[in-house]
Amino acid sequence: MPGFDFSNYNRNAALHAQGMPLPKATSTGTTIVGCIFDGGVVVRFSAIPLRPSMNLFPHPIKPPLSMIAADTRATSGPIVADKNCEKLHYIAPQIWCAGAGTAADTEFTTALISSQLELHAMSTGRKPRVVTCMTMLKQHLFRYQGHIGAYLVVAGVDPTGTHLFTVHAHGSTDKLPYVTMGSGSLAAMSVFESKWKAELTQEEAVELASEAILAGIWNDLGSGSNVDVAVITPEKTTLKRNLIKPNEKVPKQQSYKFARGTTAVLNEKIIKKSEIGRYVSVQEVPLESDKMEVDS
Amino acid sequence: MSLRIVPENSKATSFSHTNRTTSAPSAPGVHDTLRHGVAQSPFDAAAGKPSSAHPLEARLKSWEATQEALRMETLRRTYGIAEPVRRGMELKIVRDGEWRPLALGGGLPSVHEDILKGRDDMISWEDVYTGDEMRGVPGVHDEMERKLKMQ
Repeated sequence: MPGFDFSNYNRNAALHAQGMPLPKATSTGTTIVGCIFDGGVVVRFSAIPLRPSMNLFPHPIKPPLSMIAADTRATSGPIVADKNCEKLHYIAPQIWCAGAGTAADTEFTTALISSQLELHAMSTGRKPRVVTCMTMLKQHLFRYQGHIGAYLVVAGVDPTGTHLFTVHAHGSTDKLPYVTMGSGSLAAMSVFESKWKAELTQEEAVELASEAILAGIWNDLGSGSNVDVAVITPEKTTLKRNLIKPNEKVPKQQSYKFARGTTAVLNEKIIKKSEIGRYVSVQEVPLESDKMEVDS
Repeated sequence: MSLRIVPENSKATSFSHTNRTTSAPSAPGVHDTLRHGVAQSPFDAAAGKPSSAHPLEARLKSWEATQEALRMETLRRTYGIAEPVRRGMELKIVRDGEWRPLALGGGLPSVHEDILKGRDDMISWEDVYTGDEMRGVPGVHDEMERKLKMQ
């Protein structure tokens, strides 16, 4: 079978039927969030029917921008596997993806879709669309029926505007102004629900998303360490790696190294280089002849 | 003709590792491990037989075919039967004209087939992980003997 290998499935099922315990599945935890900012105008567009003469907007209409943020803890069951991993994945210059769930699956799926999107962009000769990325992801994940454990937040800016989606491992998607995913999503969502508003400046949005991630870091055991933020604007994407480091390792209060000379010398014997042939066999090798080849 | 999007549940309820294709000519019915290894026979894999009773495998195996059937059915309803027949014919011509021995990665579709299927702008897992990594690849002689029904 190309792609996935099922060749051991029947053997494992037979062993399980004979009483062999199945290996324990490890649970992974993450907090990832995404939100649209500078987007108050868009929200009001849908709320109030507009006449061209009405001037409801005190400030000039700005296109909304989006951002995603993530914590950096990778867990494997009760063990913290990586304290500073990167959960924000590149898909296209203006499309980024935050991944929760099985770390390898999120990494591999986003890399695969990134390459397919790039090929698609070359084939069509247009900038990649966020919806295209989302559709590719959901079709791919739906095909595997949740066996690929990738829970993603897709954010990006393309010529049609700013988009923010979540994609679940079974292929369902959401489109919302602010989203959270992962085991810390409830803690992060509580921050968004109480503090998010339509008109947010970039600084406010970064602060809000960081606060949401911090809520996950402190209140969810599966999330921890630092806060990563990516701000996506039509001009550029700014990846703020380790924007907040609330869990800096403090220096040890005491040194446990033994001072030099702690161990007493009982016996001392000096062997000169000229006499070393008595103890081991020595073969002189010219230095230049078998130097290891290295790229330099 | 149905407009089915996902494959129906065709999961096998029973599974047998030993079958006639992986047995030695002198001992039919017994799996020939020396000749075919412990994994699935490459001939079975090339014939599209599932290597397990896992429900996902059956789904993935018939995924492309189901999608293709849906596309062809839509084309038939839009343009009439001539369109899917023409496409099927083109695909068959391309497939028949292209044969590579299994030792050189015979399972992969050719460039022409990829273009006809509209997959030429895509690289997926199946193009890289062909499933041959875990399986013994038969020699050209072995394959030709089987192809020409000499074995």
